[in-house]
Amino acid sequence: MNLFSNNVFRQLVSRAIRTDYLENLTGFAWLILQPLAMLAVYAFVFTTIFKARIPEAGPVGFVPYLAIAFWPWTAFSESILRSSNCISANAALIGKVAFPSEMLPLSTVTATFLMNMAGYLAVLLVLQLMGTPIQWLGIFAAIPVLVFLYIFACGLALFVSALQVFIRDVTQILAPLMTFWFFTTPIIYSSSLLPEPFATVMKFNPMSWYVARLRDFLLLGNYQLSVFDLLVPMLAVLVFWGGLTFFRRFSAHFEDFL
Amino acid sequence: MEPLIRLQGVSKFYPRVHRPRERLRAFASLMAGKEIREGAEVLHDVSLEIMPGQSFGIIGENGAGKSTLLKILTGVISPSRGSVEVNARMAALLELGAGFQPEFSGIDNVRMKSALLGMSPGELDKNLDSILAFADIGDYVYEPVKHYSSGMVVRLGFAVVTASNPELLITDEVLAVGDESFQKKCIRWIESFLEQGNTLLMVSHSMYLVQKLCHRALWLHEGHARELGDVFSVTQSYLAYHEERSASERRDRQAQRGESGLYKISELLLPQQDDDGALVLQYGDDLKAELVLHSPDGIPPVALFGVMRADGTPVYGVASDYDQIEPEQLDDQHYRYRICFENLPLLPGSYSIRGHAMDPQGIRLCDTAELRFSVSGASRELGMIRLPHRWNTK
Repeated sequence: MNLFSNNVFRQLVSRAIRTDYLENLTGFAWLILQPLAMLAVYAFVFTTIFKARIPEAGPVGFVPYLAIAFWPWTAFSESILRSSNCISANAALIGKVAFPSEMLPLSTVTATFLMNMAGYLAVLLVLQLMGTPIQWLGIFAAIPVLVFLYIFACGLALFVSALQVFIRDVTQILAPLMTFWFFTTPIIYSSSLLPEPFATVMKFNPMSWYVARLRDFLLLGNYQLSVFDLLVPMLAVLVFWGGLTFFRRFSAHFEDFL
Repeated sequence: MEPLIRLQGVSKFYPRVHRPRERLRAFASLMAGKEIREGAEVLHDVSLEIMPGQSFGIIGENGAGKSTLLKILTGVISPSRGSVEVNARMAALLELGAGFQPEFSGIDNVRMKSALLGMSPGELDKNLDSILAFADIGDYVYEPVKHYSSGMVVRLGFAVVTASNPELLITDEVLAVGDESFQKKCIRWIESFLEQGNTLLMVSHSMYLVQKLCHRALWLHEGHARELGDVFSVTQSYLAYHEERSASERRDRQAQRGESGLYKISELLLPQQDDDGALVLQYGDDLKAELVLHSPDGIPPVALFGVMRADGTPVYGVASDYDQIEPEQLDDQHYRYRICFENLPLLPGSYSIRGHAMDPQGIRLCDTAELRFSVSGASRELGMIRLPHRWNTK
């Protein structure tokens, strides 16, 4: 499937971006302002109120440590939450026009990632300007990590969006689940702070790998490889394949349930 | 020649999924790969082929499964059983602005719709001017579609379809929405589209349009293909079905009113009937009828013959006393009237002939009998009878 050159897919992505992000009052400015505002809130809460300290963050400080992990996480969780009801939200389209409906969750994930990655770049720039040394060369290593995160998100989005057609409560269940996942992923803390056995269990949370690797590449300049560098990307591809298979198996029946 | 569309034994079954528990159960059986058994079957074993250039009409009552069949043809839903094969570049104009999102402007929706119809951005740019000219809605194209009237939505939708250059155009009853001049524009476009050898598949309640634009037709009745074939015979049986239905309702009312009297009909017969009791005339044939009346008091009753369309609309009626006709006396109590309608000008369709027994003064209707006959033939003329006419040309 030549997805990215597909005209319908492009239209769907550009629509999702426009409705969800750009058609607010200040339009494009929010793309940069919103992540920065979020960053300011987190910086205030965690450095002034909680006085969080991360041992291995060392000289880089807590805020960059958080920021590097936070935007990819937001892209991931937002894209899954947004796509969870995208089939029933587009029931009118599905019931009237024949097109590959997997484009709906995939375009939602793509739009969310594109927008959050633009914000991510802005945040990295601001961090650099504020005096955090960003490993800019590490971006070349970070891009594949983000691509696998995207593939992983696509797979899950395909799965939940298809499931939601049959079980409407999926959207409601997902919100607390994603919050749980957020707090069980070392985003606002470091896995080194965890007591056993949680520290070991946490290694099998694929999201731990993504945030750890992004910090390694963009902040710490740590390129040491581990077996997880193979396993987690493989899992992403596997989840994508599984999600797509699940979706295609049931997409013929969507119309009956909408 | 390969058919554009081939449907074989297509059935469609909608599972019952209104309550969460039913949804779960239906989902569970899908997971297990089982067939869902509870629900409503909206299409049953429909097969058809559409050949290039043979425009096709689908007719039937509301709820007969026409829209479901169109959705299956366009690939929006997949059939529960049977196979669908499409070998044509097709464009569908199903519901008002299918695929239009109300929040977006007309031009955005044109972009999306053209993408859905398989046009590349380049093709769209090339055709954009002609699309806007065809839609002819002025600066409204820059407004969100939610501010459009239903007519404007159809204009825009149809305009995109014209630009997508389909081989097979599928339409529902959508063209009925536009105003007179736009409807004419659409019909003109469809006619030139057909002249180029393309094919139309339409659902319509207008037998006039179906006969005008289509060669073959399918009559869907409660999800079953009741008749498939030449457009004239299918539309005629469909109309006859409707006429009969309203006539039987009327007869029931009459029966309640109760028509009774002294003078009875012993027999009404059509001598031209074949052994099965069917009578099929060609246009212009003579129609002969005989009525035997019973009179208990030996005074000859008056006979009234009436010809009506199958729905009961009277075409012509005449009584024996108008023409001062005396019956043939068979015995003390029985009298026979014979009548012949010559060169019957009835157009093809189903009709019935009624004989009535009236009192000897020709005032009270005492008894009624009815027989059916039909007139066959392929004619595009409208109405019930042919009026003699002449076109005056230079």
